[in-house]
Amino acid sequence: MTDIELQWHTITVRVPFASARHASIAKQVIEVDKELQPEVVKRVLEVEGDVLVATFKTLTVRLARLVVNAYLENVDLVVRTIGEFGEDADRVL
Amino acid sequence: MPGRVRKRSPLKTPERPYIALGLEGSANKLGAGIIKHSPDGSTTVLSNVRHTYITPPGEGFLPRDTAKHHRDWVLTVINDALGKAAVSMHDLDCICFTRGPGMGAPLTSVALVARTLSLLYNKPLVGVNHCVGHIEMGRQITGAQNPVVLYVSGGNTQVIAYSQQCYRIFGETLDIAVGNCLDRFARVINLSNDPSPGYNIEQEAKKGRRLLPLPYTTKGMDISLSGILTSTEAYTNDKRFRGRERTAEEANADIITPQDLCFSLQETVFAMLVEITERAMAHIGSKEVLIVGGVGCNERLQEMMGIMAAGARRPSLCYRRTFLHRQWYHDSTSWFTKLPYGSGNPINEEFVHAEIKYTYPGEPETRVI
Repeated sequence: MTDIELQWHTITVRVPFASARHASIAKQVIEVDKELQPEVVKRVLEVEGDVLVATFKTLTVRLARLVVNAYLENVDLVVRTIGEFGEDADRVL
Repeated sequence: MPGRVRKRSPLKTPERPYIALGLEGSANKLGAGIIKHSPDGSTTVLSNVRHTYITPPGEGFLPRDTAKHHRDWVLTVINDALGKAAVSMHDLDCICFTRGPGMGAPLTSVALVARTLSLLYNKPLVGVNHCVGHIEMGRQITGAQNPVVLYVSGGNTQVIAYSQQCYRIFGETLDIAVGNCLDRFARVINLSNDPSPGYNIEQEAKKGRRLLPLPYTTKGMDISLSGILTSTEAYTNDKRFRGRERTAEEANADIITPQDLCFSLQETVFAMLVEITERAMAHIGSKEVLIVGGVGCNERLQEMMGIMAAGARRPSLCYRRTFLHRQWYHDSTSWFTKLPYGSGNPINEEFVHAEIKYTYPGEPETRVI
């Protein structure tokens, strides 16, 4: 991390999932899409047990709001998809 | 019916039935479809469910709102598709989704769901190019072998042919797409976006009485459309322009109505499209045309293409058949499906594989198979 990045704004979002597998799926799904402005936004996604931890570092407060907003929208969609199909997927044929 | 006239494909037939789910959301239409590839080489569309984001008259669809629509509806649409096809997610062999090109936010939304499903069920994920999806679907449904493709939609206007493992673009628009041109004019005269602006333009054009001069801008196999849009818009500021339909007394009056403008715009633009398609056909020596994309629904375009393909303008080169991949406007979302490979079209009754036989000269005779 550079000295400049130390002065950036940091936001950590912790989203609990029903299982570690679901948290890891969410991480893999969301991680694929890169941040649109990588030079002013740094994103780190990690799975701690069944919790998906996202840490954002941004240049401005406005950017922090925008990235977190977009991230939560994505998490919401993934959570709803897992909610809809997760049980069915775990069902063994 | 599709498949009956088909020659043997160079691809090997599958040794067991394969079922694919296709997800599409590159513009304002969201779709989920399920298709089955059988060992005998035939393919069946098991379901094709769509939901369209329709904006108020005078407005286009914006990426953010369109993405919101897709996020809200995607799970419902997928469940509907599975229900109609009577298959479970476990039965699928792969999940396909539109990889692009298209509007970023809506594409991302659908891709997120596709990836989640793929990981949940451990199914392979196949990214599909939107344009190739259109062409392959059209080929699948019509049974066309190696057609010259006119791809006309809200975002694309291209003349395409296949050569050496690749679709090659022979000509395209130099500025805006034909669907964009029509949609934007629909906004100028405040036509409804339900079921689609293009459909409403087509209906208005049928009432047009007067063909107004507009620029005709084909350049080789390319065309330019933005100037035509501007010229058509300029007529709405003309002194003779009336913002309403022609009355019976005005049948021959020197006035311009929105219907006349829709008619003139359609005639001019479609004539240009047919001309560049014909040029590409002559260049390649192909005898088949396939129209794909949203604007392909327009029956006037289909009719004009049919006349061209039958060799009316050039009796010495008589093209054998035109493939019209067409769909009726039976509900609000059926303006030509835009599903990728692996999804596709509603089953038989909604689709017509039309073989148009034109005799020249004289009246065309359309035979619907």
